[in-house]
Amino acid sequence: MIIMKIISVIGARPQIIKAAAVSRAIVEHNKKHHDYAINEIIVHTGQHYDRNMSQVFFEELDISEPDYNLGVGSGTHAEQTGEMLRRIEAVILKEKPECCLVYGDTNSTLAGALAAVKLHIPVAHVEAGLRSFNRKMPEEINRVVTDHISEQLFCPTQTAVNNLAREGITGGVYWVGDVMYDCILFYTKKTKPIEHEILERLDIRSKSYFLVTVHRAENTDDSTRLCNIFEALNEIATKDCPVVLPLHPRTVKYAQKHGLKFTNYIKVIQPVSYLEMVVLERNARLILTDSGGVQKEAYWLGVPCITLRDETEWIETVESGWNILTGANKHRIIDGVRHGHKQQNISPEVVYGDGNAADRICEILQQSKIVKTGGSI
Amino acid sequence: MKKRILIVAGARPNFVKIAPLMREFKKHKRHFEVLLVHTGQHYDFEMSDVFFQNLRIPNPDIYLDVDSASHAIQTAKIMIAFESTVLEQKPDLIIVVGDVNSTLACSLVASKMNIEIAHVEAGLRSFDRTMPEEVNRMVTDSLSDYLFVSERSGLKNLKSEGVNSEKVYFVGNVMIDTLSDNLEIVDQSDILNKLRLTANEYSVLTLHRPSNVDSRETLTEVFDILTSISREIKIIYPIHPRTKKMIKEHNFSGRFKKLDNLLIVDPLGYIDFAKLVKESKFVITDSGGIQEESTFLRVPCLTMRENTERPITIEKGTNYLVGRDKTKILSCVKKILNGKSKKGSIPELWDGKTAERIIKILLTKEGDLISF
Repeated sequence: MIIMKIISVIGARPQIIKAAAVSRAIVEHNKKHHDYAINEIIVHTGQHYDRNMSQVFFEELDISEPDYNLGVGSGTHAEQTGEMLRRIEAVILKEKPECCLVYGDTNSTLAGALAAVKLHIPVAHVEAGLRSFNRKMPEEINRVVTDHISEQLFCPTQTAVNNLAREGITGGVYWVGDVMYDCILFYTKKTKPIEHEILERLDIRSKSYFLVTVHRAENTDDSTRLCNIFEALNEIATKDCPVVLPLHPRTVKYAQKHGLKFTNYIKVIQPVSYLEMVVLERNARLILTDSGGVQKEAYWLGVPCITLRDETEWIETVESGWNILTGANKHRIIDGVRHGHKQQNISPEVVYGDGNAADRICEILQQSKIVKTGGSI
Repeated sequence: MKKRILIVAGARPNFVKIAPLMREFKKHKRHFEVLLVHTGQHYDFEMSDVFFQNLRIPNPDIYLDVDSASHAIQTAKIMIAFESTVLEQKPDLIIVVGDVNSTLACSLVASKMNIEIAHVEAGLRSFDRTMPEEVNRMVTDSLSDYLFVSERSGLKNLKSEGVNSEKVYFVGNVMIDTLSDNLEIVDQSDILNKLRLTANEYSVLTLHRPSNVDSRETLTEVFDILTSISREIKIIYPIHPRTKKMIKEHNFSGRFKKLDNLLIVDPLGYIDFAKLVKESKFVITDSGGIQEESTFLRVPCLTMRENTERPITIEKGTNYLVGRDKTKILSCVKKILNGKSKKGSIPELWDGKTAERIIKILLTKEGDLISF
């Protein structure tokens, strides 16, 4: 039996979800192929590791807990990345994997890729090729660097494949589809039983509220932008269609410090779990967000979306008419909410695959191993 | 307003590259305030006071005190230390050179802090990612705002990586600035007397790459090759302490010592080493910079690697890529000893004026900031 040992490096919540899709596919893959197995070691850097939060997360998503918790907390970019580099290197030296799988675009992605490539461990990047073309975003730096040192690049979209080609990266590039789409398809089924309870608890009705998420530094650390966004929210929220706003306590404090007040029609709630989020997304009339993942989830769930950023890596959602970029401009946000969307009903499969991205990733990893060991398929 | 610049050097070859830049910046004190940051990546015999005096480099303004360690640990330490330096110094631009861990670490830090990056010696590619230097080069280039290229292959490589051509400048080779600046001093070196050598009657060896010296198998091949060469000509080997350690670990020290015509010496200063190369019959090396220096000095060079990121030294210069192929190496040696090796010519823009060009570009780019 050929066993391929890989390590998956995760650190932030969205990465856990992405890795969950791949982990599940690995389990399925190992059930089907008795001669070839993938042994996955999960390494959590601790980038966002809130013990309670994360445990709920792992249980809820029905995935195994990480084999390693590196416990790297918050810090400046260099402190965080540096500490991760050190600790990931130690794990790689101990485990001697044949491949290092990294996800998305956080400091954990960058550190995992750099530590591995210097130890001659091939890097595989899930969600490769995305570009906002804004180098001021730390995520963009993480994406560019990781892609340039990866041996296998798993792209969610054809746009991503094209972006890589423009940077001269063509070898090892695969359009596999979006693992987040795999997740939405898988977990939507699981949310049915909790749906009613969640809406009732928040005292909201389906299709009669706006769901808003704001978490990016470019918005939360810039009082002008944050004020603009919150003023727009005050404007659009009504008794019949309130705003539901899961917000980090830090952002709440920051807003209060800058004299921002919410009307009664804005429900600020604690951050929610992934499944709760899916429920809230699916039942929203419209979503306003600065997150990358939420833009896509809105699109897949058929909910119109306003993106509170000046650019997006998920340009297909805009082209399809489901998503509008407004930046943090109060009037554009309000205008977008009131009469912005002209949906064209492009099927999500066309751009984001068929919900089997993770299966494809497993197959490609396994095949590369077989090729390397001289076996035949 | 003066433009505030942090110029980063960590390893010995970095200092050779920044020397002409520091000197050139001095002429433009009205426009630039330049601080030299020494990461401490190499801090040993090579980085003695003599080395700084030799190259006429002022003492570093900021010393980060990071010593050698594994790639990840070293990179991590440099990143953390350099980030606080940047926070404190608030530069408008950082200049990094070459392809060492300091180059990578400081570029990563600056890019996350939205500070402009100039990479001197951009665009070189060996297309071999098992070389840590290749990873450092690719990452640094992907983050840089000014890419100063030393040979035309760099332009092509950057173009195929989709780098916007407006950021790319073909300026020539700063290392050659240093060498040509120092030629007169080099000629005064008495290293040949010290080692009792006659010009043209010996070869010079530098070997330090893990791919050559870290395993018993490769060391055996290398030793076999050196034995054959030493039958033809004397070999002088200034040895790096790390390599010395590897040779000892693999029990090769005795055998190396027993080779009659192989003279192992301590590492040399910049000037003495340049003199040693200049007067030699040929050089055998696995280093990057020596391929370029020998081309400039028109001394034949046998590069014991499978690839080079400096192809101009083969196309135009005196360099031969020979790997550890004994037959190929011995036939090259024979050709050289018979006076039939390629004579080579000096690559485009390797004229000692590269630093001048770089600073001119930085000045023009700052046109709107600086009133002339």
